[in-house]
Amino acid sequence: MLLGLTSASRGLVWQDWDDVYVVYQPSSAETHVFNDTTTLILKCLEHGQLSTEGVKNWTEAALGVGQGELAADEFAFAVGRLEELGLIERADEPIAV
Amino acid sequence: MLVGDLSHRQFAGRLASAGLGVQFGPFNLRIRSDLGSFASLAHHLYEPYPLLDAEAISDFHVQIASPRGLRRLRRWVRPQACFSVDGQSIFAPYRADHAFPALEWGINWCVATRAHHLLMLHSAVVERNGQAMVFPAWPGHGKSTLCAALIHSGWRLFSDEFGLVRPEDGSLLPVPRLISLKDASIDVIRRFRPEAVIGPAFFGTRKGTVAHVRPPAESIRRAQEPARPRWFIFPRWTADAAFTLEPMPKSQAFLMVATNAFNYDVLDETAFRLVADMVRTCDCYSLRYADLNEAVTELEKLSGSIDG
Amino acid sequence: MGKLSTETRRAQRLLLTALRVPETLPALPFADWELLLRVARRARLLGRLGCDLSRAGLLGNIPPRAAAHLRASRNVIEHRNTLVSWEINRILWALKGTEVPLILLKGAAYALAELPPARGRIFADVDLLVPENLIGEVEEKLLGHGWLKLQIDPYDDRYYRVWMHEIPPLRHRERGSEIDIHHRLLPRTSRLKSDPVPLFAAARPLADPRLRVLAPADMVLHALVHLFLEGDPDEGLRLRDLVDVHDLLCYHGQEPGFWAGLGLRARELGFERPLFYGLHHAHRLLGTPIPPDVLQKLEDVAPSWLIRKLMDHLIHLTLLPGHPDYPSRRPALGRWLMYVRAHWLRMPPVLLARHLSYKAWLRFRGVRKQIDLAQLDLKQQ
Repeated sequence: MLLGLTSASRGLVWQDWDDVYVVYQPSSAETHVFNDTTTLILKCLEHGQLSTEGVKNWTEAALGVGQGELAADEFAFAVGRLEELGLIERADEPIAV
Repeated sequence: MLVGDLSHRQFAGRLASAGLGVQFGPFNLRIRSDLGSFASLAHHLYEPYPLLDAEAISDFHVQIASPRGLRRLRRWVRPQACFSVDGQSIFAPYRADHAFPALEWGINWCVATRAHHLLMLHSAVVERNGQAMVFPAWPGHGKSTLCAALIHSGWRLFSDEFGLVRPEDGSLLPVPRLISLKDASIDVIRRFRPEAVIGPAFFGTRKGTVAHVRPPAESIRRAQEPARPRWFIFPRWTADAAFTLEPMPKSQAFLMVATNAFNYDVLDETAFRLVADMVRTCDCYSLRYADLNEAVTELEKLSGSIDG
Repeated sequence: MGKLSTETRRAQRLLLTALRVPETLPALPFADWELLLRVARRARLLGRLGCDLSRAGLLGNIPPRAAAHLRASRNVIEHRNTLVSWEINRILWALKGTEVPLILLKGAAYALAELPPARGRIFADVDLLVPENLIGEVEEKLLGHGWLKLQIDPYDDRYYRVWMHEIPPLRHRERGSEIDIHHRLLPRTSRLKSDPVPLFAAARPLADPRLRVLAPADMVLHALVHLFLEGDPDEGLRLRDLVDVHDLLCYHGQEPGFWAGLGLRARELGFERPLFYGLHHAHRLLGTPIPPDVLQKLEDVAPSWLIRKLMDHLIHLTLLPGHPDYPSRRPALGRWLMYVRAHWLRMPPVLLARHLSYKAWLRFRGVRKQIDLAQLDLKQQ
């Protein structure tokens, strides 16, 4: 399955302090707090769509952990959350408004 | 011209008729009341506040008065006072002898629900040497008490409740209204500064026992002078606590200020940027104290330490 | 009594003039600004004034204190419009994979179709029109993507589903926003024809083809339904709802065939009387440009001279805001309004009282408790 950024994820305003990322999303007027994993998933997809596995591998590398070391449920949670927030989407479906 | 320049009769007369125009920082209020007890106390506690000129535009029309209509029957059984804004009363009535705190809370409501041209933090703010110290509110953690002590120790009052941020430049705007103290804090401040002007205690209000501290006249005189924020201090009073003043992680400070603000959501990206800028450029601390005097001294040192 | 009506008329005149010719506002005397702000706030038209002045580039030419109030209103409106757009975004996400024709109504339609009424006001909820046979599927999908049913008792819930034209609102568990899903525009039990099929047939897609809005004539008629038939009768008719009608007429009025279509549609739906009053009052109070032949044709459905005079007087009374310093007479007009509504919908008043205000009644049961200033968490506002 392919993941990709939505148009809503463009225009995010980032502010990071102490390994915590505080993010403002103009399309929803929401303010989020992201950890490293979530932030890296978004960063990874900036280059274009990628398979779920590919995103996980890239994120692990960026976190400096070995392949497969990032807990599957933590990763799945982050992906699910980003999808719920409208920042990423499964790329085989129509682009969100 | 100030409220105190009116005789009591003139003051009460205006309150009961066309209303009295008073300026509280950025807000012009027109106040009406037919309650004699309210008029007496208001004349005393609002004494140093400027009256509005005849052509001034009022921002809020507020009224604390005996109820009309059917409810009037209650007047003899248990007199009530109703707060209304622009003639509309959506608020539960109060005991007539709680009219004064009711009006003060009512004015808070007006500001919090209408002043969305500003970012409104929920915090106390005081100023010294052109730099403001902001105390974000945590319930019951004593920001009002600390604020009342500081303004009687050389600091200028901006507010004990509303940190008003002007979006155009991030400046804080003063709104030096009366500080309301609860329960034990009232005596704490009486002891701390016996010459402080404190109104009567109101017992059995929905917030417990409440009294109002009038800020020093200078705070009121300088109500049109903004200042830049310099420190965020998150205070917590705990009996017998050792004094600590520790730097707070900025991410935590940001979240606490943002979630605490009255209208952070409303101002969208502007609010995010304003809070981020403030937290970035200010020093953020958490404060634990048991002794008010010690806290005041240490905060003075903190503000003095950046002077040349 | 004399002073009351003079002052009230002054307040009303200030507001109507401000709405009709906002370009005259920079010349408004200081003494009038205060009253204008107060009465506009009461009528919830502050945002509208702010928008008009902003578009005319005149915000810098009015007293700064007044401009601050207008700016505050606009901030609230812009924020709420963002929330509405985002809510639609999330609804589309939740409904991915279903082929449901979705018509946006009222505020959601105005916001996403970028129609004039969106500029100066907010609607509390997102309103959607969905075919009745697909409501179950839509509701299920939404419940599976973070929305919750409101906690209402089973009797109220059933009442909604059987009698009303919408299902009980759904609320998002995190955002707290509410969606009202309609399957028709008027309650089932009204004897006015409110078959939704022609509405779907005539609906127009937006840039995103999954979203549609009502055809211009239907949109205007729905706005008239909202003006005359919805809301708390004690509150009376709301001027800002008439302003919406005015805006839509100005906007769509240029479209060829619009006016003819409007009259035709109103006749089909049995809605000519409300159209008659709506057009006349929009023209009279707000100066809406209406082709003379349209008004002429509507004379065919005009009531008797006496009823017309009475209605005009009462509509005028209830539509215009009162003076903030003088007591409102609205509650006295509430009963009259209920009878008129019952008549137009051809429903018995008693049944109508239950129906049309049901949602308002549900809300007010929870919300009409008076605000306790001492306990209030001001951040909830």
